[in-house]
Amino acid sequence: MIHRALIALLFAFLLAPVALVFPMSFSADRVIAWPPSAFSFRWYIALFNETALRQAALNSLLLALGVTLLSLAIALPAALAIARGGFRGRDSLMALLTAPLLLPTIVLGLALLIVFAGYGLIGSWLGLAFAHLLITLPYALRVLSTALATIPAAVEEAAASLGAAPGAVFRRVTLPLMTPGVIAAAAISFLVSFDEVVISLFVVGPKLTTLPVAMYRYVESRTDPLVAAVSALLVLFSLAIVLLLDRTVSLRKAIGK
Amino acid sequence: MPHLTLSALEKRYGAAAPAVASLNLKVAKGELLGLLGPSGCGKTTTLRMIGGLIPVTSGQIDVAGRDVTALPTHQRDMGIVFQNYALFPHMTVAENIAFGLEMRRTPRAEIKPRVQQALDLVRLPDLGHRKPRELSGGQQRRIALARALVIRPSILLLDEPLSNLDAKLREDMRTEIRDIQQRLGITTIFVTHDQVEALAMCDRIAVMRAGHLEQLGTPHEIYEQPATRFVADFVGRANQIAATRDADGTIRAGALVFRGPPGPPGQVTALIRPHRLGFAPAEGGNTAAGIITRVTYVGDLLACTVDCGGVSLTVEQPTLPGLPTPAVRDQVRISWRIEDTLVFPAE
Repeated sequence: MIHRALIALLFAFLLAPVALVFPMSFSADRVIAWPPSAFSFRWYIALFNETALRQAALNSLLLALGVTLLSLAIALPAALAIARGGFRGRDSLMALLTAPLLLPTIVLGLALLIVFAGYGLIGSWLGLAFAHLLITLPYALRVLSTALATIPAAVEEAAASLGAAPGAVFRRVTLPLMTPGVIAAAAISFLVSFDEVVISLFVVGPKLTTLPVAMYRYVESRTDPLVAAVSALLVLFSLAIVLLLDRTVSLRKAIGK
Repeated sequence: MPHLTLSALEKRYGAAAPAVASLNLKVAKGELLGLLGPSGCGKTTTLRMIGGLIPVTSGQIDVAGRDVTALPTHQRDMGIVFQNYALFPHMTVAENIAFGLEMRRTPRAEIKPRVQQALDLVRLPDLGHRKPRELSGGQQRRIALARALVIRPSILLLDEPLSNLDAKLREDMRTEIRDIQQRLGITTIFVTHDQVEALAMCDRIAVMRAGHLEQLGTPHEIYEQPATRFVADFVGRANQIAATRDADGTIRAGALVFRGPPGPPGQVTALIRPHRLGFAPAEGGNTAAGIITRVTYVGDLLACTVDCGGVSLTVEQPTLPGLPTPAVRDQVRISWRIEDTLVFPAE
């Protein structure tokens, strides 16, 4: 009983600020204040007319989608090579590819700024995608490697013994069995990219910015509850993705193994 | 001409002692050959080399006169049953069995009846629509066998196909696999560490030890005429007696003196199977007086431990009604035939 109470308290502590965003976003006040003196939809309507934030949201969405696809395209072959390849230095390769996770993002951001500045990559799609890949790849690789590790090698060997060439083994056996891992890797890559702020701060430019950076800039100069409305929508959006992930992955488990 | 030939087959991992060393084997068409040995003896490594799952270090593998050493697994046309079934968990039983046929581009119209045939063969005709996880261990084992056989492979490779099954199921599966193998006349390599399984199922047995072939022979030869002490000890049970042999073949172990086959004198190990020892006098055989120190009743057998002048021997007798039951501290005479004394140089 006491355990449950403690867990509930912990969750309340973690989630209270997030929960607070919702009533605040319906505030009718002109500045952020708690509690709001009256409730309205005015900041959601204001958000609709705030083209800069809308553009930034669209940018973030496109960027996250692109980065997710690239992450999978790179991490999937890498995970396969590391898990199944017979070459030396597989552990080192894994360490190298997951190393960016260990660096403080502020250091990464600064390093990228210095390098990108010389090549005109600041504020470009290419630069942003590359920067985000640095931090999504380690996650994707980890998740996919774990998914691969749970597939017994004998299952793939059995497919080969039945006449399946390596490509057919992958298409018919390995990939279907690791689908939950692929979905999880995609969702994590998407979320990590979508709400990445520290590194983005260094590599965005005047013409191309992401939603988290735009929100950060917004609260620097304005004090109205508009960002609360954005935040509320973001929380719902993230929640939807996580729910979708949970559904698909556990669904796969139910019909798979 | 042998169907499968292994010539000087060798597998090394780094600088360590070879996992399999200069192995030569010829397997006839339709023969069931057992690879028997303790874990780490190289039997599974040999099977995996035959199946193309691991590359050979040196040597050659021929199937029907064709060198397949360099062929990848998917071109070797071998059916493999893996130790842990290795069924595809995301496919139904029927899809599992059809997989090999699809890979061979068998026409659709032909696949369905052949899958059903395979299911009938392993006596699970109605399980096609199930998922592997809905089957028992024994059923999964049969489906794995059906999946390997449906492609009509040139060679069937069985890797410990009966491990993890309970004793009763094991015996049933043993007969069943042997029946199917005989009916299809398929050349089969069978890896096992269980000597009873090997004796019961195989046409010939290759006993392996530390990467080497210790003895190759029929079950009868392996059991009755073991070539080495290792084979005698590994296959079947045996009383082991450290002893010395005189030039005339007399064997002495403390106060116990008996006769064995002639051979060079010196330190030896004598082995006698417990069930070849008896309390009834044997004509012209060995006899020894002793005291029973322990009696173990296991239903069909009665095992008596007898102390013969400091040497402890186990005597196994079938339990027959009317026979007097020996008791601890009974004075007995045990006897056995001279040819049942197996003698090997001491290691």
